[in-house]
Amino acid sequence: MSFAPRPLVQPWKRANNARTFLILLASVMPAVITALAVLLTGFDANLAVIVVFLPLQIVAAGLVGLRAFGKRGFGDALLVVVTIFFSAFVLVLLLSVFLSVITEGSKAISLQFLTQNNIYISNTTSLDYGGVGNAILGTILIVGITTVLAVPLGIAMAVYLTQSQSKLRGMVRTVTQALSGLPSVVSGLFVLSIIVTFGFSKSGIFGSLALFPLMLPTVARVAEEALKLVPADLRLAALALGAPNYKAFFQVILPAAKSGLITALLLGLARVIGETAPLLLTVNVNNGTSWDPFNGPMETLPAYVYGYLSSSFSSAHQRAWGAGLVLLILVGVLFGLARFLGRAKSLKSKPTKQKASK
Amino acid sequence: MSDTSVDKPVAARRKLSAGPLGTGDKWFFRTTSIAAYFSFVLVALVLVFLFLKAWPALQTQGVDFIFGTKWVAEDGQPLIMQIGPMIYGSLLIALVGVLIATPMAISLAYMIVFMLGTRLAKVATTLIDLLAALPSVIIGLWGFYVFTPVAINWETTLHHYLAWIPIFQVENVDNAFRGSPFIAGWIVAVMIVPIVTSVTREIFSQLDRDLINGAIALGGSRLSVFRKVILPTSSGGVVGGVLLGLGRALGETVAIFYVLQISFDINWGNLLESHGGGVASWILARFGEATPDEISGLMAAGLVLFVITLIVNFVANTIVNRSQPWRKI
Repeated sequence: MSFAPRPLVQPWKRANNARTFLILLASVMPAVITALAVLLTGFDANLAVIVVFLPLQIVAAGLVGLRAFGKRGFGDALLVVVTIFFSAFVLVLLLSVFLSVITEGSKAISLQFLTQNNIYISNTTSLDYGGVGNAILGTILIVGITTVLAVPLGIAMAVYLTQSQSKLRGMVRTVTQALSGLPSVVSGLFVLSIIVTFGFSKSGIFGSLALFPLMLPTVARVAEEALKLVPADLRLAALALGAPNYKAFFQVILPAAKSGLITALLLGLARVIGETAPLLLTVNVNNGTSWDPFNGPMETLPAYVYGYLSSSFSSAHQRAWGAGLVLLILVGVLFGLARFLGRAKSLKSKPTKQKASK
Repeated sequence: MSDTSVDKPVAARRKLSAGPLGTGDKWFFRTTSIAAYFSFVLVALVLVFLFLKAWPALQTQGVDFIFGTKWVAEDGQPLIMQIGPMIYGSLLIALVGVLIATPMAISLAYMIVFMLGTRLAKVATTLIDLLAALPSVIIGLWGFYVFTPVAINWETTLHHYLAWIPIFQVENVDNAFRGSPFIAGWIVAVMIVPIVTSVTREIFSQLDRDLINGAIALGGSRLSVFRKVILPTSSGGVVGGVLLGLGRALGETVAIFYVLQISFDINWGNLLESHGGGVASWILARFGEATPDEISGLMAAGLVLFVITLIVNFVANTIVNRSQPWRKI
């Protein structure tokens, strides 16, 4: 602690130039020093960020904070630096995932990779042959059946939670929340136990059933939020005009909540489309193309990635990355659509939301 | 004015309700109720079927199934299935993941709610949600090829400088770093950061702004407001969010399977050594070559995992719901 008189803090005055300069210096210098250290000494860059840059940045920001705002400035500078560092770290991890999947995956992607199936393809076959066409088809069929099963049921659950006066709503909500934490491998084992008990043979339909408990809670939760956004007055007005509850729902609430319910469907799809473990346990892999989810083996994108990842040949790795990219694009498209619809919805409901928060 | 009506109890109030009106409504509510009760049925079905198939294994192995440390499944030898090391491994990795993810998630939530403008905050929220939507097989792919080499670098350094801390000790450098619980913990952290962040962000954004503004008016700084106002008022919800993340971490399967070297000798806490375990990954690892008898043991492992995550999630949801009273209808 210095014995110099503390500078008077006058927030209504514009910050003086010296202070702005100091803050600028503190924001730039650590990065420059780290970059120089890496370039000159050949120090490992990954490490330098944590071992050199972060401490330097903390010290620099702390000193400037101390100089400019006194003791409180020191603490604030620490908080800000640590917060930004952690946030940037997560951002870097996320970008790293995206960039690596896109750069590595795009090497494998071609029209033939997207459409051909995987017959006669081994770990060493060059990328000019074979592809994920059969896996895309299988994923669409299996996830499609799951959607047909889970979405109506999930929306009906959401209707029950928002429209009825039943006393059991709290319990239903608790159980649904608990279901949303169901580990995917347990869901797969559950369906496997059904297969074993009744002596069925594995096929695509059981993959759909294994994905079902994972999709249901997501759809129910998002649909419930969407239905809650519809003002209760609308429903009460319909009832007051003499409409029965089901007509009030189908003619008033459903049109108002349509985009929200589609969001529920899309987020549910995004939740299950990349699930791997349940499919590995309940569907046999298939190198050929199968249109029949009720009989025989079926290939899916996650299983395709899984199958080629364990191999030690580079063309097999490329296949895994390529299928990963296809999966990522599917998830991204679903997610983007859901966001787009959700944004349209939230723009409409903005005034009521603001009122509620104040 | 007539005072007599005031003295009377208001028992004769007309009942206002929007209950079923006619047959159409009855069927409407009946259908939705059946759908809702199906969630009970589903949980019960999962428990019953897993238990039925797990019973032979549980019967032969007894309590040792959970606490024992051996898994012998070879021809000509009696089957021994004890899942202890895997349960411990799951808990260890989940703990590492939660310890890494929690500061990141709180920082992100603080950044989004208190530091960024509306537009940037929306972008950041979308990115976090996108991270939550990434399939675990993609995280596994990335973890195996991209993250593992980087993490090995970190581990080498940690071991080099901090080997005096027990968790960074390594018995044999040749058998360390690749496939360690440290890497698996990081992968799990990447996967649970979004959920912890979204719960924390929700709670931060609903904090009483007057309370925060009051603290600032009284001369509070960013740090003191964060430590003495924001954290104490939101701690319950944040703990709930962290527990939700823990539940997810325990159930993580494929991503861990890729990056972790699964072995049955228990790794008590040497995070950098190349062996660890996880119940879910063990199920996946053994599944391919398992005999029907061993499948029963894997079902039992799944049952144990389900019960653990059910309890963790139940506690977490209770805490989160209690700390978000504005979410109740």
